Amino acid sequence: MSRACDVPMDSYRLAHYTVQVECYVCGGGNTFDAELCRHCQAPMALAHQVNTQNVQPGLVAVLGTSGAGKTVYLGMLMDMLSRRNFGLQSLVRGAFSVSLQQITTSALANGEFPTKTPNEPDRWNWVHSQLTSPNLRRPLELIIPDMSGEAVLEEIDHPRTFPVVRSFLSKSVGVVILVDAVRLQRGGHEQDHFTMKLLTFLSELEAENNRQRLRLKRHSGRPVAVVLTKADQCEKCFDDPEGFVKACGSGMWRHCSESIDNVKIFAAGVAGASAYRFGVGNQRRRVPLRVEPRGIIEPFEWLISKVPANGRRRSK
Amino acid sequence: MISLTKIWEYGRQRWANWRRQPTKPEPAPASSEPFVAPVFTRAANDAGSLVQEFLAVGRYALLLRPQIIENLEDDQIRKTIDALDAQMALSPVGDVVLGQPIEDCDDFDTDGTAVATVQSRVVHVESIFLDRYAVTNCQYKHFVDGGGYEEMGIWEEDVWAAMLDFVDQTGHPGPHYWHNGTFPRGQADHPVVGVSWYEATAYARWCGKRLPRDAEWTKAACWPVTISPGNLQQRKFPWGEIMENDRANLWSAGINSTVPTDEFEKGISVGGLLQMVGNVWEWMSGPYGTPDDVSLALPVPMKSIRGGAFDTYFDNQATCHFQSGENPLHRKHNIGFRLVLGICDLAPRAAELIYGGSTEPITVATEV
Repeated sequence: MSRACDVPMDSYRLAHYTVQVECYVCGGGNTFDAELCRHCQAPMALAHQVNTQNVQPGLVAVLGTSGAGKTVYLGMLMDMLSRRNFGLQSLVRGAFSVSLQQITTSALANGEFPTKTPNEPDRWNWVHSQLTSPNLRRPLELIIPDMSGEAVLEEIDHPRTFPVVRSFLSKSVGVVILVDAVRLQRGGHEQDHFTMKLLTFLSELEAENNRQRLRLKRHSGRPVAVVLTKADQCEKCFDDPEGFVKACGSGMWRHCSESIDNVKIFAAGVAGASAYRFGVGNQRRRVPLRVEPRGIIEPFEWLISKVPANGRRRSK
Repeated sequence: MISLTKIWEYGRQRWANWRRQPTKPEPAPASSEPFVAPVFTRAANDAGSLVQEFLAVGRYALLLRPQIIENLEDDQIRKTIDALDAQMALSPVGDVVLGQPIEDCDDFDTDGTAVATVQSRVVHVESIFLDRYAVTNCQYKHFVDGGGYEEMGIWEEDVWAAMLDFVDQTGHPGPHYWHNGTFPRGQADHPVVGVSWYEATAYARWCGKRLPRDAEWTKAACWPVTISPGNLQQRKFPWGEIMENDRANLWSAGINSTVPTDEFEKGISVGGLLQMVGNVWEWMSGPYGTPDDVSLALPVPMKSIRGGAFDTYFDNQATCHFQSGENPLHRKHNIGFRLVLGICDLAPRAAELIYGGSTEPITVATEV
């Protein structure tokens, strides 16, 4: 059934529609009032913010398998940086950038982990923040999405399924790869395989960019921070993260040392200890017994020291 | 080398000062000098030097046991009681509410469902003495140097198999973060960390004390006041209801490591205990969780810890009522302990002297 309605024919609106707004992630054209990019589903708020500022924010990807702890890591990182008054600090750009840390810290403070990030890119949380540090000559603008691990894997296995993943990764200036230390320690090869797959995919994207002569210089030696998450459950990780990866993830270690110039391995943990709680329908879920972030800022601090300064927006 | 006379003189001076203000724990050697524990040369059957040795290494509680106190002279008993008074604070008999207080149970999820909270219960606690400060590296070194790790009688039999793992970074018996059987330079008066629950228990036995029960610790920290029968008012933090960054060493204080046990004086409890909240979590004697909490499944049986540490992120996890758990074999960087001495463990004569004549009957804590 259709319903009749009045649509105002404002001429200024029509004029706006003739000008395409470029998505900051994929570069596709969109109407001025689009909330999400119609090509890749990235929020258009990023593009509008970039257009009002004179800088081009760098893109940093936080990747890992489903359940590796991307949301918790990123949410805690952003909350910690925004609450610090020394060293590396962050100032969020846009109200939408607060959502991730809000969701994460609310859940953790209530003794729960945040819910799983949906696969649909339009439901991801994006963070646009300005970073300042005594070690930075000028503030650094970064855009970091909380991407779903399954979506990333799907894009690797079936290209063009999630165009936002490909576009974002090919433009990213730095990558944080989260590896579940507990699963790695158990001896399963899933974490090892995923990380190798991811590193190969990143190398392919880089090679593709080089072939197209796109920002050749900017992408050479893209820094990759490998972070062993849930290290609070295997204290060995904190003592010697590199040794741990050598022992438990030999494939990943070989790939890192042979094909990536700019890589460093870290260990991080957010929950001091965890247990399981049975909820409705006797479903078992892991719960943190306390929150004591450890090794969260160090990988990011290292990554920031390696990424290039923001470019300036081209004047039209 | 610290001379025994100096230690004793310092102790006496501290006791005199304690009448007016809280004292500081055992003097820390200057950070530039490596710490050397006092060495005692004891002549056989020399009770005097034995008492002095016990007082110097913090084993005064053993001297107040019924079997031993009868052999001490009045002066020695007085010195021992002075040492106890300087190092420990009395937590009087009374009730305490364990678990989440009612006023904290009004949190709701975004969908309106109540957040799962721990059910509270009233527990009766008898009078105890609780350490004013967490056990320091310096104090623990006396235990390590005194052969505590070889004295199998004070260790739980279940843990004998794991004792080979209770070594420091260089393979010597001792806390996880020590090197060559000694603590990191400049951390003599920091709380000892990197000790498992079993090591804490063994140290407690060596001293003649024990780990506190959850109810005892909570009561000493939150100092409940009975407003009407069955109605208790308890503090959220040892100093009051609101968290302030200069009262406890939590993540928000921005220090990000342990501090000496006598710092953050503004966070002192009503009973005169320092750092009940912040700096390091403290091992409790009991298990984590309650038997009636059937929805909780632990990967391993855990022991209770309380108080929050220097890296505790949320203030609501560093209250007097918050309980967390840890594997008793884990030797974490942010878990230490303080000890308790039940009045029932003291000889009646010692209790008389401490209470000034009163010898009320003592029983262990029982749940109501």
